[in-house]
Amino acid sequence: MVEFADLPAEIREKLRNHRVTRSLRRKSRVFVDTTNFTAIDYGDIILVDGRYFLVTAFTREGRFGVDDQVKPWVPKVEDLTTGEHKILKLVFHETFDITFGPFTIPCYRNPEKEARVLELVKGHPHFMQGEAVLDEAGNLVRILDIINGSRVDKVIHRSKSGHKEYFNNELPDILAHYLPCVKAIGFLHSHGFRHGDVRRDHIFVERHTGLYRWIDFDYDFYLPEKPFALDLYELGNALMYLTARRNLYPRDIMADPDLGESVARKIEPGDYSLLSKNRIANLQKIYPYIPTTLNNIFLHFSLGTEVFYETVDELYLDLKTVLTKGW
Amino acid sequence: MNNWKKVLIAVDNTPTSDKGLQYAGKIIGNLPGVDVCLLHVYPEPPPDYYNSGKSLADYTSQREAEADTLVQRCRQMLTEAGIDPESIAGDVRMAEEKTISETILEVQQQGEYGTIVVGRRGVSKAEEFLFGSISSALVHHSRDCTVWVVG
Repeated sequence: MVEFADLPAEIREKLRNHRVTRSLRRKSRVFVDTTNFTAIDYGDIILVDGRYFLVTAFTREGRFGVDDQVKPWVPKVEDLTTGEHKILKLVFHETFDITFGPFTIPCYRNPEKEARVLELVKGHPHFMQGEAVLDEAGNLVRILDIINGSRVDKVIHRSKSGHKEYFNNELPDILAHYLPCVKAIGFLHSHGFRHGDVRRDHIFVERHTGLYRWIDFDYDFYLPEKPFALDLYELGNALMYLTARRNLYPRDIMADPDLGESVARKIEPGDYSLLSKNRIANLQKIYPYIPTTLNNIFLHFSLGTEVFYETVDELYLDLKTVLTKGW
Repeated sequence: MNNWKKVLIAVDNTPTSDKGLQYAGKIIGNLPGVDVCLLHVYPEPPPDYYNSGKSLADYTSQREAEADTLVQRCRQMLTEAGIDPESIAGDVRMAEEKTISETILEVQQQGEYGTIVVGRRGVSKAEEFLFGSISSALVHHSRDCTVWVVG
């Protein structure tokens, strides 16, 4: 255990004048072992790799249904030497099942895998950047760069245009940015890694470059015969969400004054998503101006499909062709 | 195809696997010159396996012990179908950084088997997309051999 008084003089000085510690009624504690991460609090210091990270906040869960739950194993920190803001991810082994219709898939939080992916994607423009170091107890602490930007699913809702206007004027640029993200997942797969948690809110749009970048690689799942199928399926889901600017269920069609019952009646069993109950994959039936070439990509993820994408590269090439030809 | 009597039978502990085995037994049971390999391939351990302090050796020894019992049982079924026990080999492998179907095809190529026999579960589209179908993968990716898919 390192005591506050043992900290270097310049670090103690920075702490004395820091906005976080000025509001504290106690001295910052210094953690060199992050095993019991729930004990680490706002204003404490995590000392790893010879660097002093002051905890300035905690990240919150963005997953639907558990929105805003604090993630105590993911503190936001400031490197007291450089002044840089980072996110730390502390070791938290978690196992849970995710359900797709009648199927259950075992999922895991896998810090070792995230560390290996971070190493693989170093310098890659479409992935968050960071490094992994060990604390004194041998826990793998991931030090992540903060992406200055917003989730893509927030960005696409900034304009208040109607869907047709969005589709014609905004979506081509959005998909042109999404395309290299698809390729980036293929890059992971070609190295034997899964992203593990492909979701639309796990793509961040970097403010100053406009680049789309994947975040959060610590999830993993166990599908030994189809190790990349879930990533691939979720890439299709994200593509459909970006295109429709929402997930579409029959109730949404009925509630939309521009659509209504006449459109809902056209939906047939084969138009629904292969794995997500009642989610419509055949978007052309709702928005007839969606070109068939793009809609055919969606249909690969529908109950009516006769052909699946086997690899992300197949999806990438089809999407690239659609975007090259335009609509 | 002149090596069709070199038969690789992929087995596991499911009724469909037994069906495949019984079918193969009926076809090749009393044929001369038949050479059979009973192959059981098991997947790598799940990512959280090591969290419990167990090692890969623990996993493989448990899986191999289970597989030995399985192979013995399958050998007995083929012997009863009329195949000379001397012509029945057993092979148990973990699918290391490969899928089970890729591993079966690797064994087929290495051993120059002319026939692969596999049972078919009959999965839905969604199941095939997510969990895969070993028989479909074998049919799609096999080269220089015949695949008997027994449903």
